[in-house]
Amino acid sequence: MKDTITSLINPADERGSYLDASALDQLNRYFQSGSMRVKAAKTISSTASSIISKTVAKSLLYGDITLPGGNMYPTRRYAACLRDLTYFLRYATYAMLAADTSILDERVLNGLKETYITLGVPIDRVIEALNAMKEVLTESLGTDAGQEMGVYLDHIIAGLS
Amino acid sequence: MSLVAQVIAQSDAAERFLSSSEIAKLEDFFSKGQVRIRTAQKLADNEQKIVQEGSKRFWAKCPNTPSNKGNPQKTALCQRDQAWYIRLISYCVLAGNEKPLDDIGLNGMREMYLSLGVPLPNLRVAMSCLKDVAADVLSAEEMAMAAPYFDRLIRAF
Repeated sequence: MKDTITSLINPADERGSYLDASALDQLNRYFQSGSMRVKAAKTISSTASSIISKTVAKSLLYGDITLPGGNMYPTRRYAACLRDLTYFLRYATYAMLAADTSILDERVLNGLKETYITLGVPIDRVIEALNAMKEVLTESLGTDAGQEMGVYLDHIIAGLS
Repeated sequence: MSLVAQVIAQSDAAERFLSSSEIAKLEDFFSKGQVRIRTAQKLADNEQKIVQEGSKRFWAKCPNTPSNKGNPQKTALCQRDQAWYIRLISYCVLAGNEKPLDDIGLNGMREMYLSLGVPLPNLRVAMSCLKDVAADVLSAEEMAMAAPYFDRLIRAF
């Protein structure tokens, strides 16, 4: 995976130079956002299962999808849906910490849409759940950190669309 | 790979959210962001001073060494390498770990210098002279940020 810091160091090394003023400025802004990022990751890490429950309650729980014939029925498929939403939350948290989307491309999105199509997973409902997760996160983390998480959840949404 | 990427990879390998010790590592890393930037800038601004003054101290301790044999081309190459190590240390300060130094400058280093006929014990002295000069140039707080990487470099020789 890439991260903001390594992505600035590697090209500087290829030129054999120190980080220039603009790279240092970028890094400075990243460092300054660091405590917000870590604080958000801390909250998410300790409340992940509640974030997922709330996300499902907001998006999927009361629809046809949890009834016989729906993609979250029976319980095995309900659990698979929780597992996938937890993956999305965990990798979006990693990406938010790194301020870089590459881990999402490598570990989540690579082949995901094709897999979902093969398995008959309704992608529009997944996207609905991801949008609900953004709302739940903004309620729990506040606007700034919520928006920052939104960047990475939107990246997953874009990859599935 | 920076400390941030390293923590993420570790957490991902365990297939879980971040542990409290991983969170603490990141909190500590980001809390020193300003010092990291300042230290890296100072190393860049003072690179030539550290190398030139470092060479003087090195030759005083170790006069019989390839860079001090009156071949200006060889001296320039040795000093260029030393400057490169200062640059890699500045990367480490920003990345929060030893990876840039290890990956770019230490992996294969022994084989290279042995093949060039540069005596490793002399280089060890040269590198510790660079560290001494850096300690004069940087503030105590900045040096605390850079010293572990100078030590790693010295140990590698």
